Amino acid sequence: MAVVADAGVLYGLLAVGAGLATGLAGIGAGVGEQGIGAAVVGVVAEEPGFLGKGLFLMLLPETLIIFGLAVSLILMFAWTPFSAIVTP
Amino acid sequence: MPVLRLPKFGKPVKYAYITGRVRAMKTKLIPAEMYPRMMSMEMAEIARYLEETQYKDEIDALSKDYSGTELIEHATFANLAKTFRKLAEVSIDEPAFLILEYLRRWDVWNIKTLLRGKHYGASETEIMKYLVPAGELSAEHLDELAKKETVQDIISAFDGTDYASALAQYDGKNLAPLENALDKLYYFRMERSVGGTLSVGGGLLLKYVRREIDIRNLITLFRMNKAGVDAAIIQENLIPGGKLHDELSRMAGQPFGEFLRGLEGYPFWSSISDIATADVDAISRIEARLKAYLIRYAWALSNYHPLSILPVLGYMVSKETEVANIRKIVRGKEAGLPAELIEEQVVVA
Repeated sequence: MAVVADAGVLYGLLAVGAGLATGLAGIGAGVGEQGIGAAVVGVVAEEPGFLGKGLFLMLLPETLIIFGLAVSLILMFAWTPFSAIVTP
Repeated sequence: MPVLRLPKFGKPVKYAYITGRVRAMKTKLIPAEMYPRMMSMEMAEIARYLEETQYKDEIDALSKDYSGTELIEHATFANLAKTFRKLAEVSIDEPAFLILEYLRRWDVWNIKTLLRGKHYGASETEIMKYLVPAGELSAEHLDELAKKETVQDIISAFDGTDYASALAQYDGKNLAPLENALDKLYYFRMERSVGGTLSVGGGLLLKYVRREIDIRNLITLFRMNKAGVDAAIIQENLIPGGKLHDELSRMAGQPFGEFLRGLEGYPFWSSISDIATADVDAISRIEARLKAYLIRYAWALSNYHPLSILPVLGYMVSKETEVANIRKIVRGKEAGLPAELIEEQVVVA
């Protein structure tokens, strides 16, 4: 049976991949942040001066989402072999 | 055979808040280099110094009614109780359970203080001075107990609780067997309730507690072997449950030199090897070293398990020691003891 390359299906799969890249990165960052967030709140309760440093540490895992987001953007807009197929 | 315990997903998160908090609290403890300086201060200066530390609220609140040694003694115990109660209140779930289980030692302390006070006819206010409402028994409950007339009244107030069996050993004359029974009960309970949870945190707490029992037994051995007490009496006074219990109980009643040689090779030996000689005169120096070893042990364990009960435990042990040190310095100075003698008693990890 011949595989028919349907541009619409391919584009759909690309969109799902792009969604997963950002979504899973977000969930991973969230899991990482839960412990840090709890610990930072604990320290800030004792030392209010730690808030700035604590927030910085808490936001570190969030940088990982940017990788996911970059992959998503590449998938959707910049990957030429597929964009060649899907563009009419 | 050791059981492999895999932590459940996300489990250490329960400890993130409380360990973060105690690590911040640890930075507020009095640094070790302050103790020698405190020894050269006047009583009023010590109180003023403590006012700059975490004891400020208690010193301020109590300075209306007390002064000098009394003020510092009251303030340190009040602060200790407040700090420990705070730890129990701000934690949830497994950490809260384990902290309370540890803090029951202050219930035992309070019951002992109440009984001793009543036994020797101390007044209600005198007894209240030495109570630390850090455990399960609240300050109000302890106040009520202190108002009771006799030792027997206090003992009957505990009818139906876990303490009843230990308190039943009171024979009307001697408090020592009863106090021993209370200690044994505390460690027995700890082993049963914490060991039964099979959690990672409970296992770690038990590991520390087993070492603590060993050290307490070791101190008993040092004192009693030095005094040449009969082996059977020493073994009666040892607390069961320690990791080295069998080996330590074999050492009971040995001649002092032989006993010391037997200790070589144990992990705690390096912390006492330079002062533990056959002609050692002050066992309290060895006791202070062993207690310092125990604090270091708790913090060392907590480095392997940063998100567990161990940092909290390390903090609680350090805080107890800090309060004990301040009180030793203050009382020693009041009694006019030479600085070297006080310095020997101060536990610095």
